[in-house]
Amino acid sequence: MTRYVAGRLLQAVVVVLIVTVIVFALLHSLPGGPARAILGIDATPAQMADFNHQQGFDQPLVVQYLQYLGRLLHGDLGRSFALNQDVSAVVTQRLPKTLLLTGVSTLVAMAVAVPLGVWQAVRRNRAGDYVVTALTFLAYSTPAFFLAFLAILLFSQAIPLFPAQAPQADTLAGILAEPAALVLPVATGAVTAIASFSRYMRSSTLDNLAEDYVRTARAKGTVERRVIWRHVGRNSLTPVITMLGYHIPVLFGGALVTESIFNYPGMGLAFWNAAQVSDYPVLLGVVLVIATATVIGSLLADLLQALIDPRVRGAHR
Amino acid sequence: MTSARLRGLPAAAALLCAGLVLAACGGGAGQQAGTGGGAPVEGGTASFAQPAGSTPNWILPLGVPGRTASFNQSIRDALWPPVLSYTAESGKLGLDVKGSLATAAPAWSADGRTATITLGGQSWSDGKPVTSRDVEFWFNLIKANTSGWTSYVKGNFPDNVTAFTTVDDKSFSMTFDQAYNQQWAEANQISLMYAMPQHAWDKDSDAGPVGDLDRDPAGAQRVWTYLTGQASSLDTYATNPLWKVVDGPFTLDAFSTTGRVTLKKNPAYTGPDAAHLDTVDLLPFTSEDAAFNAVLAGDVDYGYLPIASLAQKPRVEGLKYRVQNWDGWAINFAPYNFNDATAGPLFRQDYVRQAIQRSVDQDGISKVIWKGTAVPTYGPVPQQPAGDSLSDAQKTNLYPFDTAAAQAQLTGHGWQPGADGIVVCARPGTGADQCGDGIAAGTRLQFEMYSQSGSSETDAMMQELQSSLAKAGIAMTIRTAPLNTVLADTKPCAPGAACGWQASFFGARGAWYLNPYPLTDRQFSTPGTGNFGSYSNPETDSLELAARVSNDPSAMQAVSRQLATDLPGMWLPEPVYQVSAIKQDLQGVSQDPQAVIHPQRWYRTK
Repeated sequence: MTRYVAGRLLQAVVVVLIVTVIVFALLHSLPGGPARAILGIDATPAQMADFNHQQGFDQPLVVQYLQYLGRLLHGDLGRSFALNQDVSAVVTQRLPKTLLLTGVSTLVAMAVAVPLGVWQAVRRNRAGDYVVTALTFLAYSTPAFFLAFLAILLFSQAIPLFPAQAPQADTLAGILAEPAALVLPVATGAVTAIASFSRYMRSSTLDNLAEDYVRTARAKGTVERRVIWRHVGRNSLTPVITMLGYHIPVLFGGALVTESIFNYPGMGLAFWNAAQVSDYPVLLGVVLVIATATVIGSLLADLLQALIDPRVRGAHR
Repeated sequence: MTSARLRGLPAAAALLCAGLVLAACGGGAGQQAGTGGGAPVEGGTASFAQPAGSTPNWILPLGVPGRTASFNQSIRDALWPPVLSYTAESGKLGLDVKGSLATAAPAWSADGRTATITLGGQSWSDGKPVTSRDVEFWFNLIKANTSGWTSYVKGNFPDNVTAFTTVDDKSFSMTFDQAYNQQWAEANQISLMYAMPQHAWDKDSDAGPVGDLDRDPAGAQRVWTYLTGQASSLDTYATNPLWKVVDGPFTLDAFSTTGRVTLKKNPAYTGPDAAHLDTVDLLPFTSEDAAFNAVLAGDVDYGYLPIASLAQKPRVEGLKYRVQNWDGWAINFAPYNFNDATAGPLFRQDYVRQAIQRSVDQDGISKVIWKGTAVPTYGPVPQQPAGDSLSDAQKTNLYPFDTAAAQAQLTGHGWQPGADGIVVCARPGTGADQCGDGIAAGTRLQFEMYSQSGSSETDAMMQELQSSLAKAGIAMTIRTAPLNTVLADTKPCAPGAACGWQASFFGARGAWYLNPYPLTDRQFSTPGTGNFGSYSNPETDSLELAARVSNDPSAMQAVSRQLATDLPGMWLPEPVYQVSAIKQDLQGVSQDPQAVIHPQRWYRTK
């Protein structure tokens, strides 16, 4: 198992490196460039040339990449032109906020989706299942921005239960001190995830309910609750955990729409704003974080599966 | 020098020009967006919503490229007022002595070359007086670091100052290399100047001694490097001892790197423009919708409405806000590329440009598409607030919307409508009734508009233009790209080349914000660095030059008349800076068309 993990970690490093090469090349091949966007329409050609020189954009792309890599190896993610801040500071400041929002949303989603999926599977093709299926389809197909507006309209403006803005504090403690302000953004993020995860859970549970071991357990007189939650439930989690692994990049990448509407500047918005002005260091920094999260998420999903499923564990030995 | 800036984009020259960025304001000339109503109350707090997606990133009175957004300027001027401040509170954009360090407009020598400026009796927050030495300190740093100063244009300030002379502690004079138009010199050059606390900032390291380093160019460069380096640490803005020494009506109490800024009334302020409020919070917003939600929740005292939400104006007013446009000191036009191999010969014909302009229904576009949040532009001087520079010719649209007249103009020059209604050159040649130089028989009158994407109002405006131009027999195709791409691609090209663009639009959130004295030589003089379309007219060059060097008050009007007539681009409505929602009990609000705020003049009423 140790060799397996080490091998996967090595693969992860290679994958992240390849991602940086591709993203670096793509960014620098985009039309426009940052000089005009950052300096404004009034910038003189001399000022733009000076900017490009200072940033090293007048050097060959390969040289620029190697310099970037060199800085990266020293832990330097670069400096944002637009924000006048180090990218590491931008990430350090925004990533915890994003993780808090997306993490809590995912936890809420899992807490609802898993039992909901099992419940639906057990009552498959009955009225309750149909109703919940319809609702999850509706939730799944509702755009996040519409959901957010609806939530604000109903629960902030029509019935003023919760603030329309997420917590505005800069620290996690400050954010957590305003739990009411977290309700709407968390709920917005959770609804779609609930729809997605519950469908997987329902499907997986249905498959497992038809397995021989379930029939055997029932034949041995195991109570139904134990059959469902102890045997079927655990086995049915495998695809959900895989999904969760691949969901990790979303946690790190942020939720652009939620962040935008609820005034919660996180990673998603940082990337979006940087893209508007070709703020390469921020774009590369965010992509690097997401790429790292993706490969680690994938690895974690595999390891979790190994913990849950002995067959997978055996394959990794 | 003109400054311009797009909302959310830092516009380089904005800082110096004092103009810039997005624009917005409604109401008209220097409108006081909050007069009357209730008894004034001293003290209290007010919150202001910053432009969506924009966060302050520079406060130092030494502007560097990319850090010149208007919200930076608002904070900077609240801490360190400029030597000469300009506002439109009087109804016209002009000198605002109350907000200036100077006690009055400069006194000029008989030869018109030397301006003498007298400072008021302000003090720094540490008790030291503000003196001429503090202005000299700023000047020396700029002089030794022109390449790093965002407002620098070769030949302009400070190149055109041959001598800076300290008269006494309160007075200094500057001698220019020639006699300039004094309005231009004051509004566009001297207005760039600040006083900085030489006794606290004239050093090159934290622990270094304070001295006269600025009086030696090498020392001035070291001081510049030190100060701009300090200003690059946003997280220390509120704690850095350097920034505690201010002479403005506010001090910086908090500055979050996410964009939240808190200004506190400066108890040591000794000038005539003291703050009424104790605290002003400048709030960041991730989107216009988020800011609007804050307005609906009553969480912000001075916010704004997205254009898409204008229908909710009555509801906002019901929440005890007043809703007013905030006009910008700006102009908007789509430059023609006169050097493009295909469209250039068409654009070079006066009658073609006139026919195009006659096909632009600016009133209709402003009212319907922009829902009343844009102002028609007929020339190079901002239409609102109407100032002395605005010519009568530009006040009255010289080319009112009339597609029949436009087509008649074309047919009168040898064009005939084809099967699809688009005119084709039937009489090539250079005669008065022929198509003109460089236009061959059979040429269709068509061009491509390269327009920024992401704005539904702009998309609709382009569709409307396409439709109305077609009625006149002119085909306009539309190509869109993100703003950044359009800006980067819209650049001058060699005559007769395939330039990649024929006409370009990048003013969905405001285009060119101008200096208080609205000289537009950057955009329209032949060598202008903002003359993207290579427009060239010797008469225009001559008039632009005269407006800079002549003291004749009508010189700028001549430029206005010339360019309103000659049509260097397609004049288009200028969107307001923003549609503001201001709490009714927040008064003293002047929506400065330069897109800056003066929170020291705000006050609460009860």
